[in-house]
Amino acid sequence: MKKIPVWMDCDTGTDDAVALLLLHASPELSLEGLSTVCGNAMQDLTYWNTHRINGLAGKDTPVYCGASRPMLVEPHTSTLFHGENGLGDVDLPIPESAEVPEEAAWEALYECARKQPGELRLVATGPLTNVAIAFIQYPDLPQLLHSVLLMGGSAGPGNVVPAAEFNIYADPHAADIVFRSGATLVMFGLDVTLQARLLPEDLEEFAASGTKAGIFVRDCLQGYVKASRRYGMTAACMHDSCPVMYLIHPELFTGRMAGVAVETRGTITCGKTVVDLDSDLKFPFKNALVMLELDSKAFVSILKSRILSLG
Amino acid sequence: MTHIKQIPVILDGDPGHDDAIAWTIARSSPGLRILAVTSSAGNQTIEKTTYNALRVCTLIGLDAPVARGCPRPLCTPPMNAPSVHGESGLDGPALPEPAMEVESVSAVELMARVIRSCEEKVTIVPTGPLTNVAAFLMAHPELKDRIERISLMGGGLAHGNWTPAAEFNILVDPEAARIVFESGVPILMAGLDVTEKALILPEDFERIRALGNPVSDIVWQWLEFFYRFHRKLGYAGAPMHDPCAVMALIHPEFFTMREYYVAVETCGDYCKGATVADWYGVTGKAPNATCIMDVDRDAFAGALVELIAAYGKEVPA
Repeated sequence: MKKIPVWMDCDTGTDDAVALLLLHASPELSLEGLSTVCGNAMQDLTYWNTHRINGLAGKDTPVYCGASRPMLVEPHTSTLFHGENGLGDVDLPIPESAEVPEEAAWEALYECARKQPGELRLVATGPLTNVAIAFIQYPDLPQLLHSVLLMGGSAGPGNVVPAAEFNIYADPHAADIVFRSGATLVMFGLDVTLQARLLPEDLEEFAASGTKAGIFVRDCLQGYVKASRRYGMTAACMHDSCPVMYLIHPELFTGRMAGVAVETRGTITCGKTVVDLDSDLKFPFKNALVMLELDSKAFVSILKSRILSLG
Repeated sequence: MTHIKQIPVILDGDPGHDDAIAWTIARSSPGLRILAVTSSAGNQTIEKTTYNALRVCTLIGLDAPVARGCPRPLCTPPMNAPSVHGESGLDGPALPEPAMEVESVSAVELMARVIRSCEEKVTIVPTGPLTNVAAFLMAHPELKDRIERISLMGGGLAHGNWTPAAEFNILVDPEAARIVFESGVPILMAGLDVTEKALILPEDFERIRALGNPVSDIVWQWLEFFYRFHRKLGYAGAPMHDPCAVMALIHPEFFTMREYYVAVETCGDYCKGATVADWYGVTGKAPNATCIMDVDRDAFAGALVELIAAYGKEVPA
């Protein structure tokens, strides 16, 4: 069977790390390239963290360097959830084989998409700065991609400010470009990603396997669970694993097509994804498949078995 | 007759079919004492809503002073809703001509007068844009503590109606709404989260029609008119937006309420007029609003019919 070609743009990041491990543990997917962006942590951390996770999975997928800051707003990182080093303060070695390619993230992504028009799935788990830069330079790229599967936004409340979710809040202008790009968009917002919960006992099961990957998952998410408690949750939400899981098990997700616009000029709503599901006056367009429901139990059990298969 | 403790209220609205029905049930509710009525610009211009306010008060026999509100929003151009309420702002059945005159003082000064002279704290019930209430809070900060609370129809935590993010009353005057939400006066918010669930169904129209009193004869026609617009949008009945703000005072037990910190967006390409609730407590700010999230629809409809049936009996003055 032909493998599904995937590009992942991420800001690794604890839950990006888990998503990348899931990707590496999915033989039906072919990971063509990785690019990193400033988000959960600054670019120099997210870049090398991505190499570190490749090393943990025993892979050497090329990692391309992306934007070092958002388009207009100041960088907004999250040490509370991701630790000082972006990986929950777990030390992982940078693999000796790690190379820094000369090409920039957007060039490499474009080239990869052009080789296989209509095939490449772009999974974006950080702020959309790199994707926006790519779309601006290569206006044919949105149509060359099969789809953009992005973790970001919310049809309801936000998590970093009352109106906005972290990834969109961190670069609202980039998100605006992507949502207006005409690309086939699948949005994994808080509506669905808050259902992708790993409970403390799930984390212990990861570690009890005795595998390197399993122990890493438990350790890197300790701070995340602690931070979530502040907001009344005793779980680590695997936001970024949702788009990857969708590629291997789409049947776990339910969504609706909707018009989605990104607010970039509000005082308290900058970075809000206005998702038009139920208002009387609809947007005159439907530009994204907005995921709303997840089979949480199946999600956790598949995530566990896949990642533990890495050894 | 048993003595019922009455909540003294000021009705501030832009009638409007659902404002008119809200005032109709407020008038016949033994739990409320209406001190004054003020008109606001919203569903239609201030001339039209003031005229409608006088006609509605005449119909329901409400003997309270009526004053004209501010003619336009604080900072943004006026906006009306003829598609919902018609050119008159209250299209449909013929109404009696006003039997009373509008007060010579403005809405803000009438509010000040009745609040100052009332021994108890007064509840304001705004069912239109919040221009008058904001202007009152600016003009008479010394009377802020004399307000018991503001029970308003406006906003929506999950979504809007006039735009995907904003509800009409807040969108018409977002700056006024911001002043009200930031005022520190306790707010009871009947937003779209509940008002779109407070449906009066076509079979309820028939129950009201069958009452056969002079007020019910008008109310069922208002409902039919109001439903005509909403049926096209896929509603199963007429959403009783404004009556929720009144019913929540007389029958709080019908409703599910939650405390949130709510802020109002006054700018933005898409979010102007949005009411934003701090759902996950990320701001650390204390709640400023009791938000009504759900309603026992059947109980709501039953009470509404009963309050209209009261017009066929003795309505206490």
